[in-house]
Amino acid sequence: MTVTTWIVVAGNPAVGSLISIARSLGGEVRAAVVGPRAVAETVAAGGVDRVSWFGEPGDRPVEAYATAVAEAVAAAPGVLLSADCAGDRVLLGAAAARLQAPALTGASAVSVEGDGVLVTRSLFGGIAAQTVAVTGPVALVLDGGPVPTAVGSAPIEEVAATPLPMTIVATTPAATEQIDLSAATRVVGIGRGLKAKADLDLISVLAGAAAAEVGCSRPLAEGLEWLGKDRYIGVSGENIAPELYFAIGISGQLQHMVGVREATTIVAINSDPNAPVFTDADYGLVGDLYQIVPALIEALK
Amino acid sequence: MKIVVAYKWAPNPQDATVGADGAVDWSRAKPGISEYDPVAVELARTLADTNGGEVIGLTVGTTGVAAPLARKAALSRRLDRAVIVADDALEGAGTTEVAAVLAAAVRHIGDVDLVITGDSSVDVGSRMMTPVLAGQLGWPAVAAVSAVTGTAASLRVERAVGGGSELLGISGPAVLAAATDAVVPRLPGMKDILVAAKKPVVTLTLADLAVPAAGGTVTVRATSRPDLKTRKGQMIDTTDPNAAAAELVSALRGDGLQL
Repeated sequence: MTVTTWIVVAGNPAVGSLISIARSLGGEVRAAVVGPRAVAETVAAGGVDRVSWFGEPGDRPVEAYATAVAEAVAAAPGVLLSADCAGDRVLLGAAAARLQAPALTGASAVSVEGDGVLVTRSLFGGIAAQTVAVTGPVALVLDGGPVPTAVGSAPIEEVAATPLPMTIVATTPAATEQIDLSAATRVVGIGRGLKAKADLDLISVLAGAAAAEVGCSRPLAEGLEWLGKDRYIGVSGENIAPELYFAIGISGQLQHMVGVREATTIVAINSDPNAPVFTDADYGLVGDLYQIVPALIEALK
Repeated sequence: MKIVVAYKWAPNPQDATVGADGAVDWSRAKPGISEYDPVAVELARTLADTNGGEVIGLTVGTTGVAAPLARKAALSRRLDRAVIVADDALEGAGTTEVAAVLAAAVRHIGDVDLVITGDSSVDVGSRMMTPVLAGQLGWPAVAAVSAVTGTAASLRVERAVGGGSELLGISGPAVLAAATDAVVPRLPGMKDILVAAKKPVVTLTLADLAVPAAGGTVTVRATSRPDLKTRKGQMIDTTDPNAAAAELVSALRGDGLQL
């Protein structure tokens, strides 16, 4: 069976991994691109066969094109891929609904098998994995990967689209610069073992001494808001693969540890000797972080 | 104004155990209202109270979601009433199928101006239910919503974008997913729990709704535990923190790290 694979793009051309996966399935690789023409051009040059572009969005958010994308994809259903970002999920979700196709996230492997597709994916926040055989169209949300390098030049077809009634009325830029934690070679992760927000200073000093960035587990970014969501590592946050990761005052629940599973070396510091983090660490130090971290800062000088 | 809050009754994966073969055992995990759903209820309540309107809870699942404990947990939140689609044929149903049933129920309720959901569910956590539900309805969808004001025909929706935010104007009806921290929901008090028993509940089965067929099939071939790297698990004695720190740094340098 030759499959048609669609890459659904919502304004961000960082879909290099999706193009690789699409190519590996054989068959035609098409892209449905919402966003400025420059995004369509980057994708068209990135190794796809055809691009459907829905015109300059102007003051429309990408989500306004969900129905148009769904209709375009429905004309040639197959495997639908998108990056794991808010706008991309909306466009993909509309297409999945239109085709009554399963929408699966956390896929680590996709292959063609007979008349269908085999997908291996993680479940329930990463506590288990399964392989499923899918017949009919399927929508997959994956890590988009980098912006693709130019390797070709596919034709761009502009599709007349009636957008949904949505406009961007105002924009407020971020108050602080957003960090890309996945680009850091070393990260110090801090969790609920930290007693007060002011104690982040101690963690910052350690990070400085180790030439590392600071990340955190979910409670510190979400509930407490001591750190921005760009620093939250876990199943619905950042997925990082640094050469060194310190998990400090972090219990080590799977929903957090799946975010650092590719780290080369993991050091755990926790006062609870039974904390699950110690089974997922290369080095474990049971003790009070308020004693161990200052000692570590000294040892790194 | 009619606002539907789609909520989920589900267990927390933290309470599940996973066998060596990857089979997930939920028997010791107790279901609850999914952790982010109360945020959606609060957003809906505030908007309904401003405009004069009602907040209707909606959930879909197996017969367990219609059980007294589940109904009480939902209705002790600030909903006016609830519609529950309970049918054991939904065992193991995926996102697209559940979204199709939710959409059919929204149409069944009729004249709905807005659907608000939590950011994601506690068990699946894919953030896809809201987009697929919007697709099933053919309505605008926005996620990471921190505030919603305005009227049904002219909504003003504030959503988070990379550390900042955007204000959108949307002509309803629409489907919104509340940001996890849009508001801090209040915990139900005694009064809320007592009042819960008096709120109207309509229970439906799939036979009461027109639900489109799936576009294909999904068959599980294999399950496994997640592929976490085997770690050294080397414990360093911390009786003397300074000695422990020195030993750790020495070990890391020995591993080739430039520290």
